[in-house]
Amino acid sequence: MHEITSQPLDLADYRQVRRVQGWPAINEQYQAYLRDESKLTSETCDYLFFPQNEAELAAVVREMASQGVPLTVAGARTGLVGGSVPLRGGLVSLERLNAVEALYYASYAREWRVRAGCAVTLSDLNQMAMSKRFPDLERAGDQAVLAELARYQAEPGDFFYPPDPTEMSAFLGGTVATNASGARTYRYGATRDWVRGLRVILANGELLDIPRGKYFASSNGRFTIFDSQSQGRQVLVPDYSMPRTKNTSGFYAAPHMDLVDLFIGSEGMLGIITTVDVALCPRTPKCSLVQFTGSDEQALDLVESLRGQDGLQLDFLEFYSQKAIELLRRRQAEEPVAMGMPPIPEDAGAAVFFELSFDPLAVDQDFSLLAQAVERVGLSLQNSWAGYEMRELARFKTFRHMLPETVNHLISERKRQYPGLHKLGTDLAVPDDKLRPMWKVYQEALDQAGLEWLAFGHVGNNHVHINLIPRDMEDMQRGLELYGRFAAQAVAFGGTVSAEHGIGKIKAKFLKEMFTEPQIAQMKAVKRALDPQGLLNPGNIFLS
Amino acid sequence: MNIVVCVKQVPEISEVKVNPETGTLVREGVASILNPFCEYALDHALRIKQATPDVNITAISMGPPQARAALLRALELGADRGVLVSDRRFAGADTWATALTLAAAVRAVREDFDLILVGKQAIDGDTAQVGPEMAEILGIPQIMYGVRMELTPNGKRLRVKRESENGYQVLEARLPVLVSASKGEAIRRLPSFADILAARQKPLEMITADALNLSEEQLGLQGSYTQVVKIFPPQAKKACRKLEGLSPDQAGREITSFLSQENFI
Repeated sequence: MHEITSQPLDLADYRQVRRVQGWPAINEQYQAYLRDESKLTSETCDYLFFPQNEAELAAVVREMASQGVPLTVAGARTGLVGGSVPLRGGLVSLERLNAVEALYYASYAREWRVRAGCAVTLSDLNQMAMSKRFPDLERAGDQAVLAELARYQAEPGDFFYPPDPTEMSAFLGGTVATNASGARTYRYGATRDWVRGLRVILANGELLDIPRGKYFASSNGRFTIFDSQSQGRQVLVPDYSMPRTKNTSGFYAAPHMDLVDLFIGSEGMLGIITTVDVALCPRTPKCSLVQFTGSDEQALDLVESLRGQDGLQLDFLEFYSQKAIELLRRRQAEEPVAMGMPPIPEDAGAAVFFELSFDPLAVDQDFSLLAQAVERVGLSLQNSWAGYEMRELARFKTFRHMLPETVNHLISERKRQYPGLHKLGTDLAVPDDKLRPMWKVYQEALDQAGLEWLAFGHVGNNHVHINLIPRDMEDMQRGLELYGRFAAQAVAFGGTVSAEHGIGKIKAKFLKEMFTEPQIAQMKAVKRALDPQGLLNPGNIFLS
Repeated sequence: MNIVVCVKQVPEISEVKVNPETGTLVREGVASILNPFCEYALDHALRIKQATPDVNITAISMGPPQARAALLRALELGADRGVLVSDRRFAGADTWATALTLAAAVRAVREDFDLILVGKQAIDGDTAQVGPEMAEILGIPQIMYGVRMELTPNGKRLRVKRESENGYQVLEARLPVLVSASKGEAIRRLPSFADILAARQKPLEMITADALNLSEEQLGLQGSYTQVVKIFPPQAKKACRKLEGLSPDQAGREITSFLSQENFI
């Protein structure tokens, strides 16, 4: 079925919606709402709304539309590309839509699902799923809901929600709007793979309820969306192919695609996600492992060896380049306790960090496949760090965050001398067979340019973050030039200009590296069909 | 040289809550770990092993079958052998019955011990009694609250730097001796994955009360002089004072003036 009808909501009184009005008041008292983690900062914003339910949100959308005022949508503002930073008009913060609405077992899919308001954070969702306590449902006291909860609690195993972007304080809705991913995307896929349904407020203020698996693009690539007045709008699915990598660039498009997928990763351009149904995944005990290697090359050998080992399933596969290890070693010398790890071995030239299933009390576990994959490239498991208790897993997580934190610290120190200076971090991914060619491009260009840099991140998905640490504004300029070259090269290799951060406002200039003008025009046509006035999230994805 | 390290599995204390209705610890969903002070004790044993040839470390734990996990951890970190002393008849043991059982276990599995290392206390019960009681039962000297220890050059005595109320003392005792550890390295050891796999090939045996040469009256609740009647969280102290509606500047001044009034600054 490719036709769907949006529903009007019982309209709340627009005047009753909590708000702050006028730039002076917003700028003075609500500055945190005017920026996100990219540090892009708004310079004008006339309204800041805090709707408490879908009806209030719909009232705001309709009123703003009637006045022709554009509306930017903010979640937890953990994004890195300025997606929630208003350029003009109003800002609507969804933070009050934070209730868990249901927990249910989908017997046909044999999985537990949670229906949650868009402002439930990933960390709260996981805490509830793992502890099997859902205070919102317990408070509601509905007998059927409590019975389902009791059934969930009686399940012998544990469950979790796999998508793990670095900021677990992110709102669920925001992660859906950006198709967020993280280290565990290597095994479990990105957010898209875990979304089972959405409720979306459209630019006309009506509600679209879209379960996954019900509405698919017609054979000629169309969706027809009727409003409550039976007015139909045709949405023509773009005909480009998505890259064979993880990707958050541009609207998702595929033949016979599910309508849910059009909204996932659309960065709020097509509607405002208010409620999300997600699947939970059974959780098995894990062991984290840092395997030290002699060099970057040997680390890449190990990555290929681990990926090529049939029957070996890793949860994530991350990389620390030689320069990253050197920086961590310097930090460890200064603050050994903050690092929380034993001294990094002297002969470590790089490292690969991964996680695998491990039951500490099982007697019949066989890790010969892992040993083979490691020994094949001349390494030994003796030269590793490993831990599986919860406190040890947390210790590895702290270690993982230590690197970006150290880079940020370095940048902020240099910023004192050069206020315009900032970190340049790439977010490019390429297909499996292009990991080494892309690495060679990075290494040669960066070393030739004499820049200070390091690499880390999701090497399992060929998504290595290159961090340029400019020493002055000249470095900064050279870095920006190289960034453009790298983005073009990643696309030439069949990859993406934004694997996980999204496009937002900061990376809108890179969209044309990946898509042709006619393809961008197709995306804009989708936007026009659903938001004819262009009122939702102006400035995101498309250069204005 | 034979070293015995007594280890205990405990709930990860930062997460433990007391059920206000039953007055018991809520243990569901709380991770179990090797007691940190026992890990310090093991750390000292491993240092001695590193500095001395032919040292064999036996880790002993008294507990339910799942306490095997704590022994596995000790084996991963470098102990050579693990012994779990487990029996339903041990249920309800107080510190005395526990010390008696552990001392008997040491005699049963490593009678020729030279050094027994224990943590100064377990972070769940906090009694700090089992170690001293074991030393009394075994009739050997004891040094509590050790922070550093090394064998004397002839290998017959142990020199221990220990914490006291006013500072530190350095004591020596001839072997065999029992020492409790109150400090170790700030950064815990981290095994390699090879160590974790190798630990599963090391000897880890389980013995029951039958192997201990103790009478039924000496075991568990029957052998205990004390019983825990009730556990309850302490009364919350003074309520916090919350500063609201102040600018950061005003709030800073308010806090400074409070701290100054109370002679903190």
